[in-house]
Amino acid sequence: MPETIEAIFKKHGRTSDELIPILQDVQKEFGYIAQESLKKISRYLKLSENLVFGVASFYTQFRFTEPGKHAVKVCLGTACHVRGGSTLLDTLERGLGISCGETTEDRRFDLERVACLGCCALSPVVQIDRDIYSRMSVNRLTELLKKYE
Amino acid sequence: MTKEKKLSITIDNRKVAVKPNITILQAAREHNIYIPSLCTLEPLPSYGACRLCIVEVDGLRGFPTSCTTPVDDGMVVRTDTAEIRTLRQEVLKLLLSEHPASCLFCTEHDECKDYQGTIRKVGVTTGCRYCPNDSLCELQTITEKIGLTETSYPVYYRGFPVEKSDPFYDRDYNLCILCGRCVRVCNDIRMNGTLSFKERGKQTTIGAALDRTHLDAGCEFCGACVSVCPTGALSTKVSKWYGKPDGETKTTCVYCPVGCELLLQIKNNETIDVFPNYDSTIDQGLLCVKGRFAIPEYVASPERLATPQRMTPLGYEDISWDDAIDEAAEKLSGINPEDVLIVVSPQLTNEDLFVAERFARELIGTDQIMSVLITDMREETVSFLNLASASSPFNVIDTADTILTIGFDSTYGFTPIGIKIKKAAKAGVNLTTLSVHESNLDIVSGETFQMNVTKWPALLDSIMGKMPGNGKGTKLKPLNKVVVIGAEVIFSPKRGAVFEKIVEMKDRFGWKVIVAHPYTNLMGLLAMGAFPGIKRGEIVSDGTKSTGPAVEDPLSAMDLARHRKVVYLIGEVPFENLPECDFLIYQNALSVKSTRKPDLVLPSSLFTELSGTIISAEGRILPIRKATDPYGKSMPDWQIISKISEKIKSGALKYSSISAIQTDIKKQVKSLSDVKKRLEFRKISAKTSGKGRTGKRLSDPKSSRKPWEEKYRGIALKDVVSGMLVIEERRRHE
Amino acid sequence: MNKLDKEITLAKKKWASFQDNKEPIIYIGAASCGRAAGALDLRTRINDFIEEKKVKATIIEVGCIGPCYLEPLIDIKMPGQPRVSYNNVNAKTLSIILKSHLINGVAHAKLALGHFGKKGFEGIPQFYELPMLKPQVRVVLRNCGLIDPEDIDQYLAVDGYQGFIKAITTMTPDDVIGVVRQAGLRGRGGAGFPTHKKWAVCRNSPGDQKYLICNADEGDPGAFMNRSLIESDPHAVLEGMLIAGYAIGASKGIVYIRAEYPLAIERLKFAIKQMKDCGLLGKNILRSDFSFDIRIKEGAGAFVCGEETALIGSIEGKRGMPKSRPPFPAISGLFGAPTIINNVETMGTLPNILRNGAEWYTKFGKEGNRGTKTFSLVGKIRRPGLIEVQLGTSLREIIFDIGGGVQKNFKAIQTGGPSGGCLSEEFLDLAVDYESLAAAGSIMGSGGLIVMDEDTCIVDLAKYFLDFTQKESCGKCVPCRVGTRHMVEILERITHGEGNPEDLLALRTLGDTIKKGALCGLGQTAPNPVLTTLRYFRNEYLEHINNHRCRATVCKELIEYRVIKEKCTGCQSCVRVCPTGAITGPRSEPHNLDLTKCIKCRSCYEICRFDAIAGDAIVIQTGEKKS
Repeated sequence: MPETIEAIFKKHGRTSDELIPILQDVQKEFGYIAQESLKKISRYLKLSENLVFGVASFYTQFRFTEPGKHAVKVCLGTACHVRGGSTLLDTLERGLGISCGETTEDRRFDLERVACLGCCALSPVVQIDRDIYSRMSVNRLTELLKKYE
Repeated sequence: MTKEKKLSITIDNRKVAVKPNITILQAAREHNIYIPSLCTLEPLPSYGACRLCIVEVDGLRGFPTSCTTPVDDGMVVRTDTAEIRTLRQEVLKLLLSEHPASCLFCTEHDECKDYQGTIRKVGVTTGCRYCPNDSLCELQTITEKIGLTETSYPVYYRGFPVEKSDPFYDRDYNLCILCGRCVRVCNDIRMNGTLSFKERGKQTTIGAALDRTHLDAGCEFCGACVSVCPTGALSTKVSKWYGKPDGETKTTCVYCPVGCELLLQIKNNETIDVFPNYDSTIDQGLLCVKGRFAIPEYVASPERLATPQRMTPLGYEDISWDDAIDEAAEKLSGINPEDVLIVVSPQLTNEDLFVAERFARELIGTDQIMSVLITDMREETVSFLNLASASSPFNVIDTADTILTIGFDSTYGFTPIGIKIKKAAKAGVNLTTLSVHESNLDIVSGETFQMNVTKWPALLDSIMGKMPGNGKGTKLKPLNKVVVIGAEVIFSPKRGAVFEKIVEMKDRFGWKVIVAHPYTNLMGLLAMGAFPGIKRGEIVSDGTKSTGPAVEDPLSAMDLARHRKVVYLIGEVPFENLPECDFLIYQNALSVKSTRKPDLVLPSSLFTELSGTIISAEGRILPIRKATDPYGKSMPDWQIISKISEKIKSGALKYSSISAIQTDIKKQVKSLSDVKKRLEFRKISAKTSGKGRTGKRLSDPKSSRKPWEEKYRGIALKDVVSGMLVIEERRRHE
Repeated sequence: MNKLDKEITLAKKKWASFQDNKEPIIYIGAASCGRAAGALDLRTRINDFIEEKKVKATIIEVGCIGPCYLEPLIDIKMPGQPRVSYNNVNAKTLSIILKSHLINGVAHAKLALGHFGKKGFEGIPQFYELPMLKPQVRVVLRNCGLIDPEDIDQYLAVDGYQGFIKAITTMTPDDVIGVVRQAGLRGRGGAGFPTHKKWAVCRNSPGDQKYLICNADEGDPGAFMNRSLIESDPHAVLEGMLIAGYAIGASKGIVYIRAEYPLAIERLKFAIKQMKDCGLLGKNILRSDFSFDIRIKEGAGAFVCGEETALIGSIEGKRGMPKSRPPFPAISGLFGAPTIINNVETMGTLPNILRNGAEWYTKFGKEGNRGTKTFSLVGKIRRPGLIEVQLGTSLREIIFDIGGGVQKNFKAIQTGGPSGGCLSEEFLDLAVDYESLAAAGSIMGSGGLIVMDEDTCIVDLAKYFLDFTQKESCGKCVPCRVGTRHMVEILERITHGEGNPEDLLALRTLGDTIKKGALCGLGQTAPNPVLTTLRYFRNEYLEHINNHRCRATVCKELIEYRVIKEKCTGCQSCVRVCPTGAITGPRSEPHNLDLTKCIKCRSCYEICRFDAIAGDAIVIQTGEKKS
């Protein structure tokens, strides 16, 4: 049972510097910022919905559509780039049939790129949900995805 | 106040003395040193995004923007070195690569301009008018000043569809340069928050959350964003292709008693647009949708009456003024005063009302001069008038520590008041909102009550009960408490009980009251005595504590059930409880559809076409200034009345100019002679005449005026101004 | 005796008995890098093993000791013996190591990496004598991988919080600023502004409320020093914050950290709780007048928030768009109050300076560039990982002595991440200090060192960086928003073989305009990778433009894939992986590659290269497409 948004509010004050922490908690709980959440956050912090959206959309962390079951993130940090990170991304885009930032039709996977996961010495790196896979290759990747139903 | 010490700075080898706490750009402008800049605009907070106002400052690294860098004593600034010039050109090139710039760099540019007016359809260049802002565009000016004549970069045309689904203005974000002026004016000046930057980097756009329309996003349609936009990205629907206006007239808005200053934009003797005046001490440029957008369409309505008309069995026929005046005079000459009813609009000027009042009392000899507000306010007319005339100036909000709004919403009206309240609430002032429907102030209020009007008196009791100073003998410093009452109370059939509580708050607990009602020149109407039982000048306080007149219940006094021979409507339309009459004179600006068709129609000029004054809710006498010639053969109301009078009795009310009337007003209404002073008003008391109300009762109060209805001179704005229809539809369904 | 003193005494005792362990201790390198390499899986296996064999042993998770390429690292310390480190442990080697070392008490010399003893041990080299470690100086990283980051007692036992205690009990805030000045500490976030100067401005700014922000928004792709330090020794950073907070007169500290670092956030939260329990946070710390609290704010995914004013905006709940300075944050920062923003490494350095004194610190580095600097050494290097060296160490030492050189031929090194520059071979003897790097057109930055060999295309790399900054541009100011976009597009054209020689001039002009005209540090430094590569690798640009040739075989449009018939064994591996069916051919016969179908996905190349039988039968050729 997800926590209600009101319960999240209880953990935060009503000053505008709580906006991003609240958005983060809401996204953690619900997976995305729904229109209804946007409205409630706006009322709670006394900021217009437009402003809340403006702030949220600035940061790549926040999404406004329901996420897929698994989040696949390809690291495109410099170390990963020079070791073929973008080839991994290409492969995933082709394999899943979606572009970066989209969700597969069966809602199984989201595909995202991240700037750097900080595991540069083990590049290239792919993260699926909370697990980080190091020293990835195109061929291992295809196998890996099968593990996630 | 001690005089601020000036700082000495050097700009381009010129030593100048400047005020502290200003930016280099402000300092330069004060000394007429030109620094190009696009994103800066007074009074918006500076932003530093366009990078055109860069300068060199000794001791500061790189090229700081002059719009963000504060002056410092001894500062040495260079605004126009070769390096700066090149850099500005390069930056401008980049800026223009996000903005279609054929109006600047097209090789056919000059030739094209010559051909723009051509009506030939054949193969000649007729000019590509893709941007409504051509010749008004600040980008064009800056490009010329910076001396850019070509650009080497490709243009990123963003291919956004032009957003046209909202009323009043269109948005073409392909022309947007992301200077952020609109975002700042919407958030920082208007405290509204409809516009925000969205996304980031090259994806950055401006708009409301989740691609909502502005209507859905809480936009007030104040048009401030349109006024500040330096490009053609935002443009007023009505005036967008008119080009540069050829004149501007400062006047006062007549749609409500706030009395905002308007800068009418005139082209070819037409009012094409209205801009706010940010220097206004009354409204600080915070116009509402009506002042900003609802004027050009109203004054140029196809329903405007151009000539006098007479009803014939075959319909209306145009007649000459002479015939019209003759006919009116004939019907009114020698008439029994009891057989005439004169209805004046509270949206007329003081001068109109003065002449109308003299006409009724002196020429016809009747007290039967009324305003439809008595059919709106009914039994509560006197208490309403007392609340309205005891209204405090709006700046009491600035010093308030507690604010209560009752049935008040400032989305589409009273925005200067609403914004003051929002600012106060943001600064930590205790704000409580009480309303039937959601109010636009709820989002900033500390406490929000949404309930039926019948429950309000009890709630107000509990608010008063909690007030310090209620107990005996407690010595407390005077609190600054302000209550603002709006349309939801004023037009509720249950207003009586609420009015009583507000009077108690005012008299017993020292609350200051602001009444946000729609009767523009109500105070002028009362001051001129154009109201049953109130004589000319009687109600204007002379500074002593003397009380005002005692009046009989206006509804009884008017006895609308009684048949009249002539009813003379001045700036008003046939209303629901209009007495039956033999002859109806309709003197107004727009034609009207009503069941009781007027027998004689006299075309009035509108406020953009005449001069005069009104008295605002704050008790200020404000000027109306003529901007264009009268429409068709129309005449100002006072002039028509004067002509009729002249016909009935030569020399009776002969006025040939507005100044002559004003001289008479000053003579007869003593307190009005000092125009700089804020007027104060005496309290009216209700006289119990013992005379019961006769005749038929008024129709069901439930059918009376609704809070969201906006009218000018009896005509609903929604019937005349297309965008107002959209807004009213929305409010009705809220 | 106060609570903390008791705690310290206890901690020291505990530590002593820990060093003099009676039962085996197993250390698992479990920072993010170790975890990515499978450390947690190993931990489960170790647990299972101990349970099965009924062996008594303490297992602790430590942070990262540096040589990430050797992850996962498992160390075993038997009673009375030095700790022995095993590298690249997998399930197979783990059971060998455990059987040999834990059960039989014999360190497995063949699988061991090094030991931490003073003398020689069982034919295993001393850990710190390993070539990667020997040239390093560990000041900031002194505890990393050695203590349990989740145990404040271990930090206290190794003289943790002594720097702060010394400051608060024996020094005035001005004294502290004085020591930092003498030590010559410069901000480790990138620009190298003298820390004490910033502090003094803030200290002298009027205001009851001042803020200290620790910037842990390590956004540079390819840099992970801050993550590693926080994960491995969070208390060092927090102690630094106490010292800085005391010096500038702040009562509130905020760690602004990337949300992409969940483990670091977890460890910080845990450490802050421990500090509170020990009375190191809160009102009147150690009965002094100094009160201080630390909060964690998670970033929300915006590189530009590493910039001070954008970071402040982000904490205030706004869009992270930089503002023009002046006013500087030290005068008007968070909520308009004087605010100091220091990088994680600066914080991590402070306890050492305070504990050991300025003079001790000035032993490291050289005049004007005192102390040490941590770097994440990655890319096409043999021994990638986290390192710490004295300022002034040459690039050659770092790349070859510590990093073990490059896999193929060295081509370039990028310092300072996307804001930095790309230096060629001729700079190998350049001393790594703020001024020398700046003179070469690069910057120190926060410490990312990315090494490139001949398989890296310089134009592609420049495009990569520009594309990165362009995507991270906040969009506020014109030069950065529009200028970087034009630069990326020009680079895109060049890598597609559609460039023309004028493009290089356009890149220069654009780069110059952005550098001078942009509002913030992100924009002002964004062109650096292009400007430096234009300067040092002009030929590679010209090859792309004039010959349509990418010598590194990276730029897709300029290369094509071929099967070398003589080498192909017909194993069909490539046929199976080819997503478009471009490769065909029966088993055991050389395959055909249909260029019209090939999408250059590299799948065949990879599988062929790693197939022991076929060898390099598929090659990538360049420069033929357009000719």
